[in-house]
Amino acid sequence: MAFTVRLEGLHKRFGRRLVAVEDLTVEIGEREFFTFVGPSGCGKTTTLRMIAGLETPTAGRIWFGDRDVTALPPQKRDIAMVFQDIALFPYMTVAQNIGYPLRIAGLPRAAIADKVARVATILGLTDKLDAKPAQLSGGQQQRVAIGRAIAKEPKVLLMDEPLSALDARLRAEMRTEILRLHRELASTIIYVTHDQVEAMTMSTRVAVMDRGRALQIDRPRTVFNHPRNRTVATFIGTPAMNVVPAAIVEGAGGLAVEVLGHRVAVHPRHHGALQGLESVEAGIRPQALRLRPPGSEGVRGVVFLREPLGLEDEVLVEAAGGARLKAVTASGEEFPEGAPVVLQFAPRDLYLFRPESNDTLCHGIDGLDRSPLRRP
Amino acid sequence: MKAGAARWLPLGALLVILAVVAFPFYWMLLSAFTPRAVLFRPPYQLVRVDLSLENFRDLLFATEFLVYVKNSLMAAFGAIVLNVIAATLAGYGLTRFAFRGKRMFAFGTLFSYMFPPMLMAIPLYILFSALRMRNTYTGLILSHMAISLPLNIWIMWQYFQIVPQSLEEAAWVSGASRLRALREVCLPSARAGILSVAIFAFALSWNDFTFAFILQTDRHMFTVPVGLATFVEQTAIHWGMVMASAVLVSIPTFALVFFLQKYLLSGLSMSAK
Repeated sequence: MAFTVRLEGLHKRFGRRLVAVEDLTVEIGEREFFTFVGPSGCGKTTTLRMIAGLETPTAGRIWFGDRDVTALPPQKRDIAMVFQDIALFPYMTVAQNIGYPLRIAGLPRAAIADKVARVATILGLTDKLDAKPAQLSGGQQQRVAIGRAIAKEPKVLLMDEPLSALDARLRAEMRTEILRLHRELASTIIYVTHDQVEAMTMSTRVAVMDRGRALQIDRPRTVFNHPRNRTVATFIGTPAMNVVPAAIVEGAGGLAVEVLGHRVAVHPRHHGALQGLESVEAGIRPQALRLRPPGSEGVRGVVFLREPLGLEDEVLVEAAGGARLKAVTASGEEFPEGAPVVLQFAPRDLYLFRPESNDTLCHGIDGLDRSPLRRP
Repeated sequence: MKAGAARWLPLGALLVILAVVAFPFYWMLLSAFTPRAVLFRPPYQLVRVDLSLENFRDLLFATEFLVYVKNSLMAAFGAIVLNVIAATLAGYGLTRFAFRGKRMFAFGTLFSYMFPPMLMAIPLYILFSALRMRNTYTGLILSHMAISLPLNIWIMWQYFQIVPQSLEEAAWVSGASRLRALREVCLPSARAGILSVAIFAFALSWNDFTFAFILQTDRHMFTVPVGLATFVEQTAIHWGMVMASAVLVSIPTFALVFFLQKYLLSGLSMSAK
């Protein structure tokens, strides 16, 4: 039987009121890179700490393979963890830090030295083994923390925002490094981050969390293309998806969506999903908006703000109705701030959300089937 | 000229204050080394050349001073060890566990620190009499802990608050038991705190007069401060010996302050937070 980490109806309450995690069920496969992503306070770190045994679930069970570890202390679970604040032992050298779990496991001195040397080679720390953590740069410290975690080759490697203390360049570098480690190690990696870019680029699957609940658990691409609700849609993807109010109207040829002063026909295929609704919310990704010169067919607006990012620019457009939409366009001199512009979008790129529940009603209103593919 | 005055005035003031503070110490040193025969013979000179070790010889060989020193050291050693253990565990418990009445406990600790020793000495006399713990090291050490432990718990509490919880958690997930994590990860980080606890424990025990005077009625159980008081007899005060023993007694205190003032100060500023 494959080794899986299974969370079953996990609940965590702090005190009477504060619900940190609510009814979380997920099965994480062997050697998977699974990421809990969400805004701060969404319960992702609490979930990770429960898997580590640092918090006790209020209800629910945690399984490692066929072993119920819910009541086991962290020492008795086959895990290692990388902490957000790195948490190296300041009075130990790099070698002692990396070798600490091995020393506790009771390995002979030579075996520890051997293993530490190997880990140091993997992480490029060979010439730092005798240094104290305070003498290292932030990136090196993080490497040592990772080294300490992988030294004993744990079944489950937990990472709690390990990159948040690093600057942007180092972060990108360490991302690659962690991905490489994931390929080389036999560990299941469970990762927590608020950075959706990290989640999207590294994970085999992500759980998007909000207010203690997992809103969607899927492969990154699926989460991006088929967000289950508005919260997921706006959280995943940069810049965030634009969401504007829209109305469902009965037209001559059936239903239509009225959005940003335009009427777009809905393919009969989606009628069922929209039946009986009047007002909805329409989402469209900034990348799906095209900027066209005035006079073109589309939503008229004025360029409000233009942020050059190098290869691309982010353009904030104030549309005729007053709504502000973000678009991503090739960088250039066209459409400076204050210039009139027309926004175009394709019906296939529209997402419709139910206003009260935020659930996704349909993705694309052009009749194509975009239901996510089942995993093989 | 004016700038010069502004610069020298504070310095001059400091020198005056220093003289006032330091003079008794100087006088103690001088008297300790002055032969008994000339000690009370005018003129009283500020500088002498006819120094001798006579007082020290009398003190060490004609009195039970060395017994008092041994008793003081035993009490101080016991107080240090027990204070470090108790304050460390209590401070750790206060920062790492949530329990009912934690605030009460913390403030009660501070509150008990406010009592003057005399207030506790008399009840302790009655209590220890009943328990047959008068004239024992155990009783003396416990009574010294009654005055030093509250502050020491407070110090360790503050220290453990700045040792990140994640350090310990990192040790736990590495497989270390709670006690091992405390020993190998927490304590090294709280070393400065432990040292100041040891210093306070020593200082309070070493300098205590009240408890030792009331609880230790057997001459062989006297500590140095109490023994010192016996040099004041009804018919004579052996000033030379008093001064000589005062010199010897201050040496460890001076040494502590001199070598460990860094920790002492950090301990004080910590507990003030």
